[in-house]
Amino acid sequence: MSSTSRAPHLGGAIALLALLLVIALLLASSAGATNVSWRAALSGDDTARAILIGIRLPRALLAALVGATLAVAGVTFQTMLRNPLADPFILGVSGGAACGASIATAAGLARLPGVVPIIAFAGACGATGAVFLLARRREYTDPTRLLLSGLVLNAFFSAVILISFGISHQSDLAAALRWMMGTLFGATWSDVTLLAVLLAIAMITLATIGNDLRMLAFGEDDAKSRGVNVERVKVIGFITASIVTGAAVSVSGIIGFVGLLVPHLIRMMWRRDFRFLLPLCALGGGILVVMADLLSRIVVTSSELPIGAFTAVLGVPFFLSLLRRNR
Amino acid sequence: MLELRDVVFSYEGSLAVDDVTTSFNREQLVALTGPNGSGKSTLLKLIARVLTPHAGEIIFDGHSLRDWSAKEYAKQVAYLPQDPDPTFSMRAIDVVVSGRAPFLGRFAWESDADYDEAERALALCDAEHLAGRYLDEMSGGERKRVFLARVLAARPRLILLDEPLASLDISHVQQFSTLLRDIVNATGVTVVYATHDLNWAAAYSDRMLVMQRGVLARDASPAEVMKADVVKELFGFDAEPVAMNGRNWLVPRV
Repeated sequence: MSSTSRAPHLGGAIALLALLLVIALLLASSAGATNVSWRAALSGDDTARAILIGIRLPRALLAALVGATLAVAGVTFQTMLRNPLADPFILGVSGGAACGASIATAAGLARLPGVVPIIAFAGACGATGAVFLLARRREYTDPTRLLLSGLVLNAFFSAVILISFGISHQSDLAAALRWMMGTLFGATWSDVTLLAVLLAIAMITLATIGNDLRMLAFGEDDAKSRGVNVERVKVIGFITASIVTGAAVSVSGIIGFVGLLVPHLIRMMWRRDFRFLLPLCALGGGILVVMADLLSRIVVTSSELPIGAFTAVLGVPFFLSLLRRNR
Repeated sequence: MLELRDVVFSYEGSLAVDDVTTSFNREQLVALTGPNGSGKSTLLKLIARVLTPHAGEIIFDGHSLRDWSAKEYAKQVAYLPQDPDPTFSMRAIDVVVSGRAPFLGRFAWESDADYDEAERALALCDAEHLAGRYLDEMSGGERKRVFLARVLAARPRLILLDEPLASLDISHVQQFSTLLRDIVNATGVTVVYATHDLNWAAAYSDRMLVMQRGVLARDASPAEVMKADVVKELFGFDAEPVAMNGRNWLVPRV
């Protein structure tokens, strides 16, 4: 009995992942087409400073924030809907954003600065609202209907995206495709600040309902009998995770696998409840996307490859090795 | 302790619980029986506050359920659904300590005292040795005991169990029934459990409630229920009562 650990050792796990994230950020900001070092930047070299602080650091930080956001949204949806397959993509949030972005491209608005992110964000919010309304019946939000609505809307969004691309100007297509595959090219400090603030608000909100959310793991009836206001928790959780996902997608485009994969990875290493998983998923998602973005920049020098491909390339082998070990 | 007055509940127009009036007092093991779809689960959910009656009133300690805060009520009354399954596997101790949730503040983690309660509850269920094991490594009988411990961890005064004996083999049915009886005797808690097995229910419980199409058709001692004409009428069960050790056992007529 005495060997049973009681209070979860959250501190150690957070420290470990935070350290890894810092290392990833340092690696990502040091590597790139131009050879510059942090030492040079700190000793006053203006070129080094411009590249590191003006370009690479905000990009690496934005990667960390996007990864953290997607993973946090993923673990929230999985916990809330009691479904290991739930993530921001399946629920249509990302699809809505992509749909908005592709319509903007087709309308020729993509060349105006700042338009794509705003319309993508609106698309994400619209998709969230639609999925939510479709799943709601008599004051009750049905998890299965939520997933089904997301799947069906995704099919619709794919159709709209294809049609939009078909009627888009040839010259706009390259940028649109790059956005669809996820890119952090051109990340700015204002993107970083905006997403950091939104993510902080979302995490505080989710922590506030954390004790209730983890009770949902045992089923809605069980949670209700334990004094949890289940509908309120679902509404708050769903809206919070969706809005912050919409914001992340609007600055990064579509980066796959993170929301689905990271919560499972973390859960395989630390099999604990939602309150414990929330901060760890944020850090884990950050590490994965920072590393994926780094690879997308340096694997070939001629161009940038899609980040979403590298989140899968990095995450899937790790996932499979944990899966083998755990069985 | 708990009183139901003319409680009515219907699912989209079909009546599930029809005008049920009854009450529960301290230190009783109550078997809730009745054919499939007779309203047993719904009745338990109404008492557990998972569902709200469409008419009538449920009163706990003299106050209507409407006046109880959800958390305060959850400290008094604990409910175990039929097949509780946390989506992702957890250790038994974490499952049990989550039963302390009604006592937890918004940002609070379980304290050592909560873990003490969880271990006490596991001990009551003869499941101390399972504390560090994961649910997906356990047998069905072990899982049932862990979930019973979870319900006990809040030290409630009323426990509602929805078919806790379903899918247990015969020796586990016996063990679990004995366990329920012992817990009622040792702690003074009242346990209401839904079950289909009349013989086991009659052998272990103090009282039997029989539901029939939403109506509480019988509320009586096991001796009064375990009669050929009664079970024929209430369950459509064609049985031969056999007297042994001072009680009736129902053997199917074949």
